[in-house]
This record gives sequence, C-alpha cells and structure tokens, in this order.
Amino acid sequence: MTCTPDVPAHDADASPVARRIVLTGHVQGVGFRPHVYRIAVAHGLRGWVRNRMGEVHAHVEGPQEDVGAWLRDVVDKAPPLSRPALGKVADAAPLGMTGFTIRDSDARSDASIFVPADTSVCADCLREMRDPSDRRHRYPFINCTQCGPRYTLIEGMPYDRPQTTMADFTLCAACRREYEDPMNRRFHAEPIACPDCGPSLRFARWGQPDIAGTETALQAAIAALTSGEILAVRGIGGYHLMCDAGNAATVQRLRDRKRRPDKPFAIMVAECGADGLDSARALVTLTAPAAEALRAPHRPIVLLPRRAETDLAPAVAPDCGDLGLFLPYSPLHVLLLDALCRPLVATSANLSGEPVLTTPAEVDAHLFGVADAVLHHDRPIARPADDPVLREIGGTIVPLRTGRGTAPLELALPRSVASPVLALGSQMKATMTLGFGNRAVLSPHIGDMDSPRSLEVLHAVSGSLQDLYGARASVLLCDAHPGYTTHRWARKQGLPVVQILHHHAHASALAADHPEASGDWLTFAWDGVGLGEDGTLWGGDVLWGQPGRWRRVARFRPFRLTGGVRAGREPWRSAAALCWAEGRDLPNPPDGVRIAYTAWKQSINTIETTAAGRIFDAAACIVTGITHGSFEAQGPMRLETLAGRIAGQPTRMPITKRDGIWEVDWAPLLPALTNDRRRPRERAVDVHASLAQVVPDLARILCAQFPCSQIGLTGGVFQNARLVREILDRTTGLKIPLRMHRTVPCNDAGLSFGQVVEYAAQAGRHIR
Amino acid sequence: MTLQDSHIALAHGNGGRYMRDLIEQVFARHLGSETLDTDADSVPLTLPGDRIMLTTDGFTVQPLEFPGGSIGSLAVHGTVNDLAVSGADPLYLSLNAFIEEGFDVARLERIVADIGRAAAQVGVSVAAGDTKVLPRGEGGGLYLATTGIGVSRHPDALAMSEIRSSDVLLVSGPIGDHGIAVMLAREQFGLRGDIRSDAACVLPLTRALRGVPGVRFMRDPTRGGLATVAHEISRATDLSIALDEATIPVRPAVQAVCDMLGYDPFYLACEGRVVAVVAPETAAQALAAWQDLPGGTDAAIAGTLGGNAGGGRVTLRTTVGGERFLEELEDDPLPRIC
Ligand SMILES: [Fe+3]
Ligand SMILES: [Mg+2]
Ligand SMILES: [Zn+2]
Ligand SMILES: [Zn+2]
Repeated sequence: MTCTPDVPAHDADASPVARRIVLTGHVQGVGFRPHVYRIAVAHGLRGWVRNRMGEVHAHVEGPQEDVGAWLRDVVDKAPPLSRPALGKVADAAPLGMTGFTIRDSDARSDASIFVPADTSVCADCLREMRDPSDRRHRYPFINCTQCGPRYTLIEGMPYDRPQTTMADFTLCAACRREYEDPMNRRFHAEPIACPDCGPSLRFARWGQPDIAGTETALQAAIAALTSGEILAVRGIGGYHLMCDAGNAATVQRLRDRKRRPDKPFAIMVAECGADGLDSARALVTLTAPAAEALRAPHRPIVLLPRRAETDLAPAVAPDCGDLGLFLPYSPLHVLLLDALCRPLVATSANLSGEPVLTTPAEVDAHLFGVADAVLHHDRPIARPADDPVLREIGGTIVPLRTGRGTAPLELALPRSVASPVLALGSQMKATMTLGFGNRAVLSPHIGDMDSPRSLEVLHAVSGSLQDLYGARASVLLCDAHPGYTTHRWARKQGLPVVQILHHHAHASALAADHPEASGDWLTFAWDGVGLGEDGTLWGGDVLWGQPGRWRRVARFRPFRLTGGVRAGREPWRSAAALCWAEGRDLPNPPDGVRIAYTAWKQSINTIETTAAGRIFDAAACIVTGITHGSFEAQGPMRLETLAGRIAGQPTRMPITKRDGIWEVDWAPLLPALTNDRRRPRERAVDVHASLAQVVPDLARILCAQFPCSQIGLTGGVFQNARLVREILDRTTGLKIPLRMHRTVPCNDAGLSFGQVVEYAAQAGRHIR
Repeated sequence: MTLQDSHIALAHGNGGRYMRDLIEQVFARHLGSETLDTDADSVPLTLPGDRIMLTTDGFTVQPLEFPGGSIGSLAVHGTVNDLAVSGADPLYLSLNAFIEEGFDVARLERIVADIGRAAAQVGVSVAAGDTKVLPRGEGGGLYLATTGIGVSRHPDALAMSEIRSSDVLLVSGPIGDHGIAVMLAREQFGLRGDIRSDAACVLPLTRALRGVPGVRFMRDPTRGGLATVAHEISRATDLSIALDEATIPVRPAVQAVCDMLGYDPFYLACEGRVVAVVAPETAAQALAAWQDLPGGTDAAIAGTLGGNAGGGRVTLRTTVGGERFLEELEDDPLPRIC
C-alpha cells in the first residue's frame, strides 16, 4: 500500500452544507446577480440570489468544498464595475433545491442602498456597435450589464427596469431573450435596447420639420457639425452644446450666443491609438495618472496642460494653460466622433452657472438662437448630471466637480447621524448631501444658486435623493450666510435648520476625506469668501482642531472690499482694497474709480475679509491687468497660466499676533507686485511662491503652539496647481504630513458633505 | 425781531414771544392760507365727498438739502404721493417741525419756503402745524412730520387684493435717482448736481390712470425701491413677479454709480415715481397715458406677475437672458460670492 497524504476523502454522499450570504457595496446595476448565478452554475451548486434594497442576498447549497470555492470566486472574480463587500456569511438549513434561480428584487426599505452610477460604453458593446452584422450595428443606445446609464435614468429603487425611464419601452422578443438569459451579458441589463424596441434619435431645426429615424438624424447632425454649425446634443445626464473645436468662427459664435466670453470650453476627443489617447496627446501633455483618469469608466473631464501648438480655435480656452478634455462616453458620442475625426467643443447646455438642461422643452425654451439645431433622443433623463471635472494637483488626480458617473458619491461618515439630515451646501457650485446612519451621499453638481431654475433643480434633487435612498431628512443643514439662496430655502421647509459655518464645513469635509487620519488638524481654509463666526467674511484662515471643534488660530490681515457681491467678478476691487489700505494708488484704475474710493473711505457698502482668493484676485489685477472677469477665479487662473513653470522668489510676509490671533500681513506683496524690474511672468511666479511660503512659515509657528497630527489644505484656492506645487516644494522640511482632498472637491462643491460631517461631530459632542 | 440772532435757540420752543415770532415770520409767512389759523386749537375743514383718506409720514432725510429737493419739498410730496397712489386727491396737510437748537434760521426759511412752494404747486393747503425745539445734539438739525387728508377719486377699487395673475407692472420713470442723489450729497462725493433726486408730486400720474380701466393697485417705490414694492405685492398675493432688466428705465449716470459702488438700482428709493399694477389688456393704454405727461415720458413696463412655483418669488430677467432672484432686502446686505 502506498502512502497517501492524510486528506479527508471526497465523499460524494456527504451531506451538503448551506450558506446564506449578504453582499454590500456597489453590487447593483453592475451585473452582480448573474455573476453569482454563473459561478454557482460553474460549481454545480443550487440555491438562489436576489437584490434586496442595495444588497445582494444569496442562498447556496452543495458540497462544502464547492461552496467555499464559490464564495471565493464571487468576491475575487467580481465584475469590473462592482465593489462588493462580504457583509454576512451564515450557516443555513439546506432547502433541498434542485437548481439555481435568480429571484425578483425585494423592495423592502433600509439604509444600505447603493445607487449605481452611469458608465461609459464598454469594449464589448463598442465591438458590436461597429460590427455590420450585429443587430445593434450603429445603435446609439447599446448597453449591457457592464455599461450604460444608471443614476440618470433610475426613478426609484430597487434598480429594475420598471423603475427606470426605460419603463415605457417594451422589450422586443430578441431583447427579452437576452434580458432573461442568465448566461447572456445582457441578463437584467435594465436599460437594454435595440433599434427595434429602444430609444431613437430625432434631428430638429427650429422652423423646419424634424428628421426622424436614428441613422438619418445622426447623418444630419454630422453634416451640421461638419459645416460649422452649433448643435445641442442630448446625452446621458443632459444636453451638450457641440461644435467643431477647430473652427474659429464657430467657436466664437458659440461664445457670443452663449454670452460666455472667456470661460474655457471642454473638448471631447476621439478615442484612438493603442491606448485610445492619441488624439488627446495631440492637444495636451499626459502623465500616467492623468491618462488613467481620462480612461476611467465614467470618462470624466480632466484638466490637462495644453500643448503650445494645436489646431484648436483660440477661443476654445483663451488665456488658459489647461484644456479640459474627455473621451466620448455614450455610444452616440462615439458615433459622432468616429464620423467627424476632429475634436469637438462639448460644453454643458445651460445658461451661465445654471444646471444643465435635460428635456426637449427646456432646450426649446432656452437654446433657441444659441444652437442652430438639436439632436434629441427619446430616452428621458430622470435628473441632471453634469460632466465631472478632475485635475492633477500636486501629483494626484483630484475632483473639482462631481457629476455623471461619480455622483451620487457615496461616502462614509466618521461619526453617524442619529436621524437623516440633508445639507444644502453653498451658493456657488452648489451640491447637496444626504446623511443617514454612517453614510453620506453627495449629489451631482447643481450649479450657482442665483436663478429660479437652479432652485427648482435643487428642490427636485433633494426629493429624489431622499426617495432613492429611502431616507427622509428630519434636519436641514445650511451655510450660516443668510443671503444664500440655499439658506433661505432651508428656512422655508418647515424642518429644523442647523447653520454650519462655511470654513468649518470646508475643514470637516477635508478631515472626513481622510478617514485614516487621527489627531488634530491644522487646516488652511483658503477660498473666495464665506461668512465667519465674527460676522466678517473669512477665506484666508487657519483652523485648528477636528470636526465639531474648530478654532481659528491664524488669518491674513483683514482688508475692506468695496462693491459687495461684485467683488467676486471684478478683481480690481480686491486690488483696490489692498492698495488703498496701504495708502497706494491702484495701478490700473477703472473709469470713475474716485466714487468707489470715496465710498471705501467712508465704509459705504464695504465688507471686511481675510480671503486668500481675493488676494489672488488683487495680484492678478495688478500683474495681468485684468480688472473685470466674466467668471469667478478668472483672474487667478490667468495668473497661474502666466506663471508657467519657472521658479520664483518669495516675498516673506511678517507674521505677528494681533487680538489673540496670528496674522499674516500681505502688505509686502504690493511693492513686489508692482516692481517693474521684474517681468509680469516673474511677478506672477513670485506671488505664487510668496503665498505658498505662508504655509510652512505659519505652520512652524502654529505647530509649536497648537499640537496637531497633520496639516490640511482646503478651499477653492487650492484648485491652483501651481500654488499647491510650490507649497509641496516648500514644506518638505515639515515633519507633519500635509493632506489635501482626494474624493471630495476642495471648492464649495464639497461643502455640503462637510456640513454633514461637522453637524454629526457637533451633535456627538453635545451628547458627550 | 427776536430772530435777529440767526440761529434757533431753545427759547423758540418755549411757547412765548420767541416762538410766536418764529411761527409768524418763518412758517406762516410761507405757508399762509385761508385755512391756516395760527391762533386756533383746531380748524374746521370742508371735504367734498365721503371717501376721506388720511395718511401720515415722518421725514428725517440727510442731508436736509440735496440736488432736486429738500426735506421740505419731500415732506409735502411724500405725504401727497401716499394719498395720490391710493387714488385720492389731496386737500389738506398738517405739519410738525422738530428743530434742533442752533439750527441756521436762513436755512430753515429756505426749507419752509420749499414746503410752501411744493404745497402751492400741488394745490394743498397746510391747515395746521406745530413746532418743537430739541436740545443741541438731539436731532438731525430738522425733522418734519406731515399728515395729509384727501378724498378718494379713483373710479375702481385700488388694493393688492384686486391683483390677478398675468397682470402687468408699470413704472412711471427712471428708478433710483433719489437714492443715489441723496447718498452722493450726504457723503460729499464731490459730484454736485450730476444726479438729481426725482422727488416730485405724482398726482398728475395717478390722475391720468383714472380713465383707464383695469388699474388694480398703485404704490410709490420709496424706501427699498422697486424690488421692495414687488416683494410686498408678491407676499400679499402669493404670486411671483418677474421684473425685466431690459425695460426698466435707469439713467446711465445712476447705473454708473451703482456699478461702481456695487448697488442694485432695483432697491434704491424713488420719491417721484409710481408703480402700477394693471390688467394686461389695458397696460398699453395706461402706459400711453403716462407717457403723454411731462413726468411720465420714460414710463415703461417693469415686469409681469404670474405663477407661484414654490410660493411667490421676485426675480429679474436679465439682459443676458438669465433669470436671477431679487431677494428681500436684509438689514445688512453681505456679499455672497465665494
Ligand atoms: Fe468656500
Ligand atoms: Mg410715505
Ligand atoms: Zn456594454
Ligand atoms: Zn429590442
């Protein structure tokens, strides 16, 4: 007898085991149930799987060994878009089942829902779309369990076709077979469609009969774009305005008609070459992380350093060193780009700052005279989702705007909320965040809140977020500024309202963006302006502590801005505030400035602020001559572009303690900014270096007095990649780690999340 | 005479001869009429009609004199205009003057003369009055209070409750002149006379609408300006109001100052304008009636009422095709941009 290893013999007659498992995380809308099914079939196991409000529940029975292998494979071989977490594994009594079934969803409500995000068309679908023999050849609404729209067409949870905007499209026999076949890659792909049963395109020109029929409409759109026309194109989360990015006259016409003189347009480039990025490379320089970001499944806009020589029209992004690029993400975009073979301007179809338009009726009401024609489709958009925007800052790709494919952004709260809360964010770049249990869900970008349309969208998104997640807010959180539309709206809803200070929310958003960090923070909160606890406008301050207990320990020397709300768009006002406070003349005063000076002297309509964003505005005005901007932060962007990559000489600013707070005096910047022995480019670099140097200089003083475990950077000013690069270079000697945002935008788009974090922490503190 | 010392003394308020001289030589001289009896405790009035309207107002404007008017003319126009926009013909005024010790008598005379001139132009008589002298430091030089009595003459009811959705908002002339003129004069901007207050009697304007059917409501946009009137209407009717930046008249000089100082002209005070809410069918007729008058040549459509998505709200349709909120004035407007 030979010696055999001592392993238990596999006994086919051994009684089967049964397990009940719960999978949480991103497991819906990503083909997870068929995945569980296929693995079970492969291992010859029996049981069932079903969705239950965001989770996947499965029962499996069979030989112990196979059940173990199945469990491993379910997690290890999960579909690419899923992010499963094994929530629970429990022994169960065998049911003696004869096969494996996929059961209907269970609609019971609880707080573990994950809403799937919109995803760009996958390689398999693209292959079919380009295959003349495929029944979905050139079909712009092709999708599968691994790709396609989700959040923007979901009307309710659980995620099943009847609860999507596809409910009214009755499946044809061929689609139904795919939909019902667990081995098919379209098994329960809820937006499944084909030319016979799915959505179609329609080309419309005002005053002319529509062109129906998907391929005919598509050809009409291609012809319009080729001949230099401006087209509104319905996409996934809203309409775009599109035109040939190389046609100078057309791009200028779009600017004139949209009344958007300067703000850069995003560019959609075809996916071609070995890694799909050849046409991107013709326009910008790509680092490895940037290339990866461009190719992320949701195809975000990535701001990238532009090449000197491109074929783009100058008006695409005037005075801007970066281009915002993205790859086609819907099959329709792929078809358009394939046909045109050139970069397209693809900017959100909206009025300045307002939410993106989503319905044909809105397009007719708002885009007549802006677009020459419209390419519509008839798959309704349940709610808007603008394109997300990312930028490489300090070597990391970080979000500047949440949107299609990244939102709702599902985050963990460091401290749970006792009952659901809804945070309404800021006035500009508004988003909202729903907090429930230990979770927070950040909405897509909504827009600037000055217009009734923005408020209507805010209202609608607030309802739909709460519906989707089955959480009804019992408290509303808003910024402390009484003039914010969101603040006023909150107070009219008949719910308890808690006001959160602007920069406390910024600092708390950053802290929660680093759940692994412990101990106190020393957080630089630099932005435009936000209301502080002393009734002045903060924005150049250092906060010490943790969520729930922030203390302002340093600031820029306060200065008085004239002209109220206009200061944000008129950099000369910031320059004037600094110059006049130092008894200097404004180097490039606008006409009629004497009235403003008299008013400033007498404190008529002036407000005190410490905002670093306004110091950048002042520097931009003095160095580049920009007195009036057409969008916020235009001056600082121009200054950053001018600075390029040369090295600068910082001007050191005195730091002294005044009124119990450390204060950085910006006064020495003024002679440096006006020093005409240095060229404007050198002065632009110098001011970045000077303001960057404030971080290590202040940190050294403050760390000695206020023990902390990390230094944080938050607020819109840190969207300035040049500034952050200078800060990183100048803080290498510090022993404390420097932390920036990574998941949540550093600008006001992240404010609603910070409001929830801060509220939860404050509530926790009160309980303690 | 006792007014030889050219400044007001506390004695001018003591009820004695000094006061008698002040009343006779300054007030009665400029304001005298057959009804004014400085010796009587009260005066009998004859009123033609049975819909008697009463209004009262106090005036504390600084500076007391400004391009286009003074606290004196304002005290007449303010009260007369409140009667006029209610659809009344004003008939009588009473006048209270609170004078600070040390006030320049020549200046007082100028202001009282303004009162007399304004009253004569309007055709009202000052029927009763009183003066008090306040110790130095306890008044802004001069405060005035006027009460007005008139008789309602408008053929239809004028009230916010008459306002209907889709009615049209009219404004009788450029807005903000008064607010900017007074501010510039107060703060010594050295821009003398560039911008004059619109302070005037609006009676010709309100009378002109008596022949126009469908006039629902009128108000003079004083403190808080056009936007505040719109909020008052919106709050009372629960209707939204959209104002039109493109059609609302604003003088370029006023707009330029607003741009420089960061003010919104829609919130600036007017003292000689009327806002009228008129049925859409007769809005053009009302507008034409105003435009035929010297004080209404720049009259225009200011906006429209309608809808109440999410409760009444006031917005501005901007010249660049957008629509933004015109929020109710806060005590202390803070800049919002972040
Ligand atoms: Fe901010
Ligand atoms: Mg009045
Ligand atoms: Zn696919
Ligand atoms: Zn089909």
